[in-house]
Amino acid sequence: MSNFERVGDGFSLELTLDEAHILINLAEQLLELLGEGDFFHHYDSSDPLAQLLTMPSEILTPDDPVLLRLLPNAYADPEAASDFRRYTEPALRSSKQRNLRLIREELTILVDENHGGTIENLDGDIWLTALNDLRIALSVRLEIDENSFEKFELLPETDPQKSVYAVYFWLGWLQENLLNKITS
Amino acid sequence: MATSTDTLSKADVSIDQLLERPWVTIVWDDPVNLMGYVTHVFIKLFGFSKERAHELMMQVHVEGRAVVTSGSREEMERDVQRLHEHGLWATLSRDDKI
Repeated sequence: MSNFERVGDGFSLELTLDEAHILINLAEQLLELLGEGDFFHHYDSSDPLAQLLTMPSEILTPDDPVLLRLLPNAYADPEAASDFRRYTEPALRSSKQRNLRLIREELTILVDENHGGTIENLDGDIWLTALNDLRIALSVRLEIDENSFEKFELLPETDPQKSVYAVYFWLGWLQENLLNKITS
Repeated sequence: MATSTDTLSKADVSIDQLLERPWVTIVWDDPVNLMGYVTHVFIKLFGFSKERAHELMMQVHVEGRAVVTSGSREEMERDVQRLHEHGLWATLSRDDKI
């Protein structure tokens, strides 16, 4: 059973190989959706110099509902929302990408060695935020609402959606497990 | 003459400042974020006491939204950005209570 533990200043996480595969798969899919550039940027997108050439004249509101939930409008007024998005969305994207890249790297250890085990020296807040983004992404695809757990329990084992719901609720359990270790 | 103009413009500024409505950051309810997580984020970002953070989280959960901070537009834009970084659904607007 997956479990976080506080170790010194950081956290450890014990996972089976299957669980590590599920997490790394989701992290990579979300990185792809967030438009991960496949090269290393030496400057953070919040650096004013780095924005000289890349600052676009406009960034459109995302069509994809997952992206719209992760990168939401900050204003009800479309013009103000568009202005805000133009100046802030690159930094918001890069913050989410940074978290996901980090947990992906840490999970790679287990996946490369092809067995379950414990990964260590994890940053609790980064894991908490990344797990939350993964849950949000899945929740949009599954159209999660207050009644979803009952719906999940009533789905027959043969329904292909059953396992996706199971992953979503497992992520919630895992996030709660980490939250309890952080706040206790 | 110059003196009276100065006085007038100074008075205008202070009336403007008096009428200036603050901006507010609003957090909206969603069926995904865990209640404990929302409370944790409020404490982490705004330094609220556990009790205050819990109270605001409950207000979001029960009423569907809560004003979590107020201040200048720039400050509220920063708060909204940080809430979005943590996956909370937040917007800013002029305080509509005045």
